Amino acid sequence: MSHLADTTAAPPTGEISRLADHLFRHEAGKLVSVLTGIFGIERLQLAEDVVQEALVRALQTWPYYGVPKNPAAWLTQTAKNLALDLIRREKTFQDKQPEIITFIEQWSSSSDAGETPLLDGEINDERLRLMFACCHPLIAPEAQTALALKTLCGFSPAEIAKAFLTTEAAIAKRLVRARQRIRELHIPFEIPSGQESSIRLDGVLQTLYLLFNEGYKASSGESLVREELCREAIRLTALLAAHPIGNQPRVHALAALMFLNGARLRARMDAEGNILRLEEQDRSSWDKTMIARGMFHLARSAAGDDLSEYHLQAGIAACHCAAKDYGSTDWPQILSLYDQLIQIDDSPVVALNRAVAMAQVHGPRAGIEAVENIRHQQALESYHLLYAVLAEFESQLKDFQAAANHLRKALQLTEMKSEQSLLSKRLRDCEAAGDRR
Amino acid sequence: MSTPTTKSDYLLLFRGNDWDKDLSPEQLQRVVSDWAAWFERLTQQGKAVGGHPLRAEGKLVSGRKGRAVADGPFAESKEAIGGYFHLQVADENEAVAIAQQCPGLEYGAVVEVRPVAEMCTVRARALEASSRAEQLAGAA
Repeated sequence: MSHLADTTAAPPTGEISRLADHLFRHEAGKLVSVLTGIFGIERLQLAEDVVQEALVRALQTWPYYGVPKNPAAWLTQTAKNLALDLIRREKTFQDKQPEIITFIEQWSSSSDAGETPLLDGEINDERLRLMFACCHPLIAPEAQTALALKTLCGFSPAEIAKAFLTTEAAIAKRLVRARQRIRELHIPFEIPSGQESSIRLDGVLQTLYLLFNEGYKASSGESLVREELCREAIRLTALLAAHPIGNQPRVHALAALMFLNGARLRARMDAEGNILRLEEQDRSSWDKTMIARGMFHLARSAAGDDLSEYHLQAGIAACHCAAKDYGSTDWPQILSLYDQLIQIDDSPVVALNRAVAMAQVHGPRAGIEAVENIRHQQALESYHLLYAVLAEFESQLKDFQAAANHLRKALQLTEMKSEQSLLSKRLRDCEAAGDRR
Repeated sequence: MSTPTTKSDYLLLFRGNDWDKDLSPEQLQRVVSDWAAWFERLTQQGKAVGGHPLRAEGKLVSGRKGRAVADGPFAESKEAIGGYFHLQVADENEAVAIAQQCPGLEYGAVVEVRPVAEMCTVRARALEASSRAEQLAGAA
């Protein structure tokens, strides 16, 4: 049948290829920010609706008439028109109406040239305002991330649900509640200044960090969506770091940590989706541009005396990125960074990672000892990586029997397919090595 | 597949104009470019000879001498027609096969495939009726 052949044909080049990657997603984030600036943060939902409607209009017309010369300007113009219609209709805008109309008309008056009188800098200000509003301490942390993903990054509730392993309905509820709180608490749409700004900035960084980690950790969600999370977290953090209010050592440190870890994201899996350990990864596939940008931010992060956990984590990531191969990794440096990190953040995961560095520097016995010290005191007993790490140490000591036992335990504790297949492979290797002895 | 010498006209009517409301910008962008690629491909192959989106608003004219002019929308959003393709293809099977490639299907859009009639059905019925009348008259 001819139509079957048709479906596999590559879409024709030309105007479609002009639709740059993520154009809609990024434009949506910008437009929501700008419109929120106009309508007020209490009408956030309205801004989101107008933007969605503009995107839908694009869907309805572009396929037939072609992609406009400047798609971003087209979307802006359409959103502007829709917003004007709405304001003229809605009574609630009556008091502010003339002001708003003047503003919107000025915002994109030269529509044919596709230029927006709003400068990029102003748009970025609006996006930062929205970022600070979404990450307000009075909004629950999980709602902060959901709201940021929805409004700033253009994720659908379904995609957010996939990323956080929850239902779409739960995410929708979270979003509604967050918007309600913004209204009820009169959360301001502004970039905070003065004493408050430092605390508020920390809140934003925490949310961005959470966003990145959610994408980076391999334990949940669909891999494609997770990669997007990392990318968006990086984009927003870089935006923040480029702004005067965000041009601070710890912001640069967070950006560095994201770039330096993000650069290695793709290399963590082989073509079949199996997890590759650091020593197995093809270092030539690490993203050099991202590493360079990470190193740039790391250098900027060193200004001043601030030493945050972001600094230390970025430093550790930099050690890995700087090593030509696994053998030349600077483990003593990494261990010293972990020693400092554990002073700030004594989470079990940090402690376990520190044990790995410990084993690299002082041998597997020291590693086992370090793990034994922490395994009972914290919630590590049911953490599969604890056993995976112990297995690694035991097999370095050639005790394949003990290693195999740890791996079996680890296998019982993870449900993730990619993790399971890695552990099974290591278990087979251990059993084979045990038999040879 | 044999090469048919004659082509028939079909309309693909895209029904539903709210299936896109919950898509993320990313998904919308994908649908836009897939849809445009689809339309371009069909046009290049000479299978699509036209197509347009339809605005949701409009007027509904009814009543004697068209006295009643109402503002649209005219149908429930699930039923509303959002656009159409005019196809010239071998047969209904091919038209259906093309409809099955619609990028909106995945998200709940519905495609109606309608053959273009050679003659308006009302006129056909009128002609049929009058020829029957003639036959009856002849028989009498």
